[in-house]
Amino acid sequence: MRKFDIIIIGGGHNGLVAASVLSKKGNKVLVIEKNENLGGLSNYVNSLSYISEEVLKELNIKIEKDINENYVSALSDDLNHTVLKITGNKNIEILQTNASESDQANFFNLINKYDLFARTLRSFMFNKPPRVKSGSRSDIWQLFSMGFKVRLLGKKNMRELLRVIGLNIADDLEDNINNNTLKGLISSEAVIGTNLGARSPGSILNLLYNQATNNSIFRINKYNTNSFLNSIREICKKNNVEIETNKKVEKIGISNQNVNSVLLDTGEEIQTSLIISNVDPKTTYLKLVGAANLDTDFIRRTKNYRTKGTVAKIHIDFKNEIKINNLDTKYLSGKFVYAPDIKYIEHAFNDNKYNKLSSNPCLEFYINKNRLSANVYFIPYLISSSHDKTEILSNVKMILEKFITENQILSSAIETPNDIEDKYNISGGHWSHGDMEIDQLLMMRPFYGSSQYSTPINGLYLCSAGTHPGGGVTGINGINAAKQLLKDKRNG
Amino acid sequence: MGNSFSFTKPLLETPFHERTYEACYNNDWYRWAGYKIAREYSNTELEYTAMRNTAGVLDITPMHKYDIKGTDAIKFVDKLVTRNVTEINSGQVMYIIWCNEDGNVIDDGTVFCFNSNHLRIFCAERNLNWFSDTAIGFNVEVEDVSDTIAALAFQGPLTCKILNLLNVKDIENLKPFYFDKFDLNGCKVTISRTGFSGDLGYEIWCKNEDAINVWDSLFTFNRDYKVLPAGMNALEMVRVEAGFIQPNADFMSAEQALRPNRVRNPYELGMGWLVDLNKNYFTGKKNLVNLKKKTLTKKLVGLDIQGDKPAIGSVLYDKNKKEIGIVTAGMWSPSLKSNIAFGYVDKDHMKIGSKVFAEIYHPEELEYKKIWAECSVVKKQFFNPPRRHKVPAEI
Ligand SMILES: Cc1cc2nc3c(=O)[nH]c(=O)nc-3n(C[C@H](O)[C@H](O)[C@H](O)COP(=O)(O)OP(=O)(O)OC[C@H]3O[C@@H](n4cnc5c(N)ncnc54)[C@H](O)[C@@H]3O)c2cc1C
Repeated sequence: MRKFDIIIIGGGHNGLVAASVLSKKGNKVLVIEKNENLGGLSNYVNSLSYISEEVLKELNIKIEKDINENYVSALSDDLNHTVLKITGNKNIEILQTNASESDQANFFNLINKYDLFARTLRSFMFNKPPRVKSGSRSDIWQLFSMGFKVRLLGKKNMRELLRVIGLNIADDLEDNINNNTLKGLISSEAVIGTNLGARSPGSILNLLYNQATNNSIFRINKYNTNSFLNSIREICKKNNVEIETNKKVEKIGISNQNVNSVLLDTGEEIQTSLIISNVDPKTTYLKLVGAANLDTDFIRRTKNYRTKGTVAKIHIDFKNEIKINNLDTKYLSGKFVYAPDIKYIEHAFNDNKYNKLSSNPCLEFYINKNRLSANVYFIPYLISSSHDKTEILSNVKMILEKFITENQILSSAIETPNDIEDKYNISGGHWSHGDMEIDQLLMMRPFYGSSQYSTPINGLYLCSAGTHPGGGVTGINGINAAKQLLKDKRNG
Repeated sequence: MGNSFSFTKPLLETPFHERTYEACYNNDWYRWAGYKIAREYSNTELEYTAMRNTAGVLDITPMHKYDIKGTDAIKFVDKLVTRNVTEINSGQVMYIIWCNEDGNVIDDGTVFCFNSNHLRIFCAERNLNWFSDTAIGFNVEVEDVSDTIAALAFQGPLTCKILNLLNVKDIENLKPFYFDKFDLNGCKVTISRTGFSGDLGYEIWCKNEDAINVWDSLFTFNRDYKVLPAGMNALEMVRVEAGFIQPNADFMSAEQALRPNRVRNPYELGMGWLVDLNKNYFTGKKNLVNLKKKTLTKKLVGLDIQGDKPAIGSVLYDKNKKEIGIVTAGMWSPSLKSNIAFGYVDKDHMKIGSKVFAEIYHPEELEYKKIWAECSVVKKQFFNPPRRHKVPAEI
């Protein structure tokens, strides 16, 4: 039987990041990936806006910036599109809009406010959050320092943060802005990848959270996802990490609450006493670990962890290079958002609540010559029925026809949350491996009894987007999990 | 005790109601899982005496009954409970408790093994939710069959004799904690040698439509043997004598307690003997391993109390009048001629033979008499006659 010091289940970006950190310390590491390609869900990411200095330093890599100027175009049915230019982290300019002067001023005030709050949250992102009910000194210190950072905002801002953090984004926008396109644009960033509508409490928190991990409210393209993945892969190679693709882990071997092996779909069993799972928490616990090794209360929390995916990925190939009506071609390199107003988003979300397809979904897309790649939401993850994919495609095409004319669609492909689940073995095909809502964040992520990357099974750790700080391509989950493992190893 | 409930929704009647209603002169009903069960038919002491000297019949239909079916039935129960049930045989009954992840007791009950693919759990509280969540990942179906089975407890020294007279074949050879199918007065019934009374006794499980027939048959020989229907008050007396504790009376179920320090682990309840830490993983094992190593800070013990005034609700003190615990159930035991109770004591008074004091408030003609009574810590099982265990049973 083959034997490794540490086995990483899943070659998503977090799994690879963990592998690089661990292998640097001289451990014999094996990564097992179900698919042919590495990278997992990051293969869907069009816009990698930020990899934190902390992560780059830890991995000792540099990645190239794609472009310096970015555009975000919020499409409007009347073809009066709003275009933003984003330079650097938060240097935002409005290039064209039909919003009034005062709306524009308020728009910037709001963005600056969110930016301030997001920076406060950002300081929580790189640490493991304290555990609930642990009573340990380091956990109490962590909690204290989190409170302290909020306090540093000053009285007025702290009050404002505490006021809005539980609010819904629609309320805060409607208090400040009249222009529908601007409201739709910000709301869209607050709800994409979640089970929240613009009027759901917690949508502001989600926005701030996204902004904190992406260091930008519009998550706009700056880095090339592939170049990030490639540099991690380089490190893995240099440190002799073995990576085996097209192999799926079926079961984690456990005896007496200790990890001792993984069992592959090839029938092979590989020995190890340390495992990091890059698979989402629900699948890891219910399928790989198995309920028999876990307490019923814990199973209950796992079962109740919300992982219903809401985003489908669509690729459409056109005959000619794509142009958007009434939009300068120099903005085509940017991101497009079709979420024309709050009501529209809310309607699309409402259908999702009842597991129905909205005929008017929201879109976030990128254009690359003839090809258009879109995140379509809200497309519910279905448990007991299946999607009518042609209907989704024709809904999307109907929207696109408003903006793209005199061009012919040659082919199109769609992956629904159910397809994403099948392909990557991630519950619900969820963007973040589990909803990013207040009860599933920070020390409650994924849930009580499983925080700080540890699990009830000795030797098993989690590094997926289902852990703190959540989804997106950040690499933080991978680094934190690896560090926790190394720390426990040192302490025996 | 008067009827203190104002019912907004009529309570359900068990299939025995036609008979229990006739017998319940006091019209004093107790609410048990939505059913009406007699609290006292005519006189609690008489009903108690029947159970201890001849035979008593208790309607226990409201007991919750959960069918566990599927190829993982035994594995499922083994994961649920603290005892090792993997060796259970068909026809066997085991007394079981189950805990939550903290190792605190949720409930107790019995499990009946029909065959390795079919077990049935009986318990006093509702547990469907807990069982269903425990069943995740196991090939089993958990079904609440509570309303489809009528049940009587038939308890007392003459029960075997009466069943034998009723031509229940071979009943005397049924071992304690076993069950089988029998013919009783033309009805197919399941009889187990189990019960709350701590004495010889049986529990009879039948179809709802056979209920009246089964009830009547048990009173066939009443001229000679004086079988009485017994109510919940009498049951309370026998179960304390027998040393059986009850959730939400002697401890708070971990699923129901609201205050974090009200839950109890098996060691605190004196149920450590039911916890097998060497068996496969079960809910709570991880914490029970740690709890076992810790010294207990409180424990539920039996108390033998000076005098004859029941110590119901009394506070317990040490000799320096420092408060150390509380009584959860207390009674004057007519059979033992002693004043007995269950109570929690602190770590210095857990040993058998320790002395503690109970402050008893005894109402006497509109005035409370305050009694300072010395108590000895004893085993909880106060009453355990040899006939309870004898095979064949006395006929
Ligand atoms: C449609 C879509 C669009 C998105 N767009 C963006 C975006 O624009 N910006 C952004 O920041 N984030 C985006 N995200 C979110 C982001 O992609 C994820 O949160 C992130 O990639 C998760 O990374 P991970 O390493 O934690 O997990 P994953 O990438 O999910 O990695 C898990 C890996 O484990 C493998 N695996 C699973 N089970 C097994 C098994 N049993 N054996 C072996 N291998 C197994 C899977 O194949 C996968 O490779 C998007 C997500 C989706 C679904």
